[in-house]
Amino acid sequence: MSERVRDMHLPFTARLLERTELTEDTALFRIAPEEAALPQLSRFVPGQFVQISVPGAGEVPISPADLPGGDGTLELCVRRVGHVTELLHQQLPGAPLGIRGPFGNGFPLKEMAGHPVLLLAGGLGIAPLRSLLMHLLRHRDRFGEITLMYGARQPRVMLFREELAALAARGEMRLYLTVDFAPETNGIQSCAVGLLPDLLKGFRFDAAATYAAVCGPPPLYRCLIADLEQAGVASGRIMLSLERRMRCGVGRCCHCGIGQKLCCVDGPVFRAGELKAIPEAL
Amino acid sequence: MEKSFLEATRLNGFLEKLRLFGALHGPTVTDAGVTTFAPVTDPAQLLTDYRRTQIPPKKYLLPFREQLLSYRDGRYAEPAEAPPAIVLFALHPCDLAGIAYLDRVFLGDNTDPGYAARRARLTLVGISCEPDDFCFCSAPDAAANCDAFLATTKNGYLFSALTARGEEIAAAAADLLSASDVSQPAAALQSGTGVAPQDPELRFSDNPLWQKFADTCVSCGACSVCCPTCYCFDVREYPALDGGGVRIREWDNCLFATHGEVAGANFRPTRLDRLRYRFLHKYCGFTPLQGITSCVGCGRCKAVCPVGIDLRELFCAAGGEMSS
Repeated sequence: MSERVRDMHLPFTARLLERTELTEDTALFRIAPEEAALPQLSRFVPGQFVQISVPGAGEVPISPADLPGGDGTLELCVRRVGHVTELLHQQLPGAPLGIRGPFGNGFPLKEMAGHPVLLLAGGLGIAPLRSLLMHLLRHRDRFGEITLMYGARQPRVMLFREELAALAARGEMRLYLTVDFAPETNGIQSCAVGLLPDLLKGFRFDAAATYAAVCGPPPLYRCLIADLEQAGVASGRIMLSLERRMRCGVGRCCHCGIGQKLCCVDGPVFRAGELKAIPEAL
Repeated sequence: MEKSFLEATRLNGFLEKLRLFGALHGPTVTDAGVTTFAPVTDPAQLLTDYRRTQIPPKKYLLPFREQLLSYRDGRYAEPAEAPPAIVLFALHPCDLAGIAYLDRVFLGDNTDPGYAARRARLTLVGISCEPDDFCFCSAPDAAANCDAFLATTKNGYLFSALTARGEEIAAAAADLLSASDVSQPAAALQSGTGVAPQDPELRFSDNPLWQKFADTCVSCGACSVCCPTCYCFDVREYPALDGGGVRIREWDNCLFATHGEVAGANFRPTRLDRLRYRFLHKYCGFTPLQGITSCVGCGRCKAVCPVGIDLRELFCAAGGEMSS
């Protein structure tokens, strides 16, 4: 089948293989797209998104949490927040799903090669950044120092904690975790408490050469951009992955306007520098 | 470009020839008194001298609600039926310009299959118009983006064919067309200054008109519904009791509060935000049509706004500020 003549609205079929509950409202879904979808999906660049269909519910844009596996399977980390994600969470392994994409620009991996990379994730923002992290680690020799700073509300909603700890233990990346709140045991806090900007303040790094990749809730961007710039990271090297409700993925439905740009085709990864002139972006 | 004269008395015969190219649709008045593009069964229903229809011709290319996909047994499928052939008669230049803009949006990269199929089966016949107080296009007489155009003269119309299909119409109607006409097309009434792209920065100007508009706007969305170039859409999916379902696409509206929603937030929570968003898209353009205004000066938004908002007031005021 030629890809060119395929109706861009028509999702490829995918099957839900496995789901792993990560927290009470977030799960990791491993899906197997049909073979015809693989040439397209193999072009996935971390930071891009796919449109996942749940039959009977509709479509949602999701940024995969990992690169496509060798067998073409895809991992999606999804929180139950709306109509479609609610139904996705009700699906059992074997259920048919749909997939279109990938869409958007993704992180500029070629440009980032040779540079230290600092990943800053807040909450569910770890999901899109995990695919970037996996890419960086799989091509470890192409990049400088890799650091992940990840903040969650509290320890029990921290995603991929064991996995990240294991990766850090291999010595290929530096890992800093923080939470907004932590339960106390006998008056002793179980871990470090603080916000991501607090972590960044005490961090010594080669700011001039560093690329920062940020993903999290909107308020996070505002304070982190200022802090990163103050630390010496150029605004053209601060990459922000933004969220909008993309319906079509190809720049038509106009729900994802960011200034005169469209999140689905010009983004979802934007440079802090280009967003400065767009006050409504963050 | 070949031009021929069509006497006004021969118009009905000409309409019959147009029916060879598809079902004839044109401006008519409904029982409720609304001017609308509708099927023309009796030529007496047809309005050749009208100001504007309430809903623009975009409804032929982007139906208010259309089925994108159906779902059954684990697979999505595209709708199978082909759209009908339609001849849209007596389109004003502003509406033709509107269709030209939609063509750029939907026929570019990633051509929209539904739009393209309907567009291919649509024959466009334009007619010159007489502007009224609401109009502000710059060229009510200009033939653009149609298969054939009728320029109104004293006793009839000067016919011109602009595409191969237009030539076919000319051939089919050859008996009705005179070789020439002594009278020239009626001089086009200049309706206004035309529509120029605006400075995107204008959306954040502290001009008090913004707040005035935001205070009076009721978010009814009529301006977008009636705009010949507003095309933004929502996609919804409905399950059926038998296990199947449909995915539909329907007109959305950037004046509605839900338009800028994401999980847990809304990027355009206030009416001011939404008016600015509409302004930015309409007059400054989004990727990849940045810098291109999609306003064609048809005057519908001003005519239908229940609270009389006219964004051009803002441009005039801003222009005054800049020049002073």
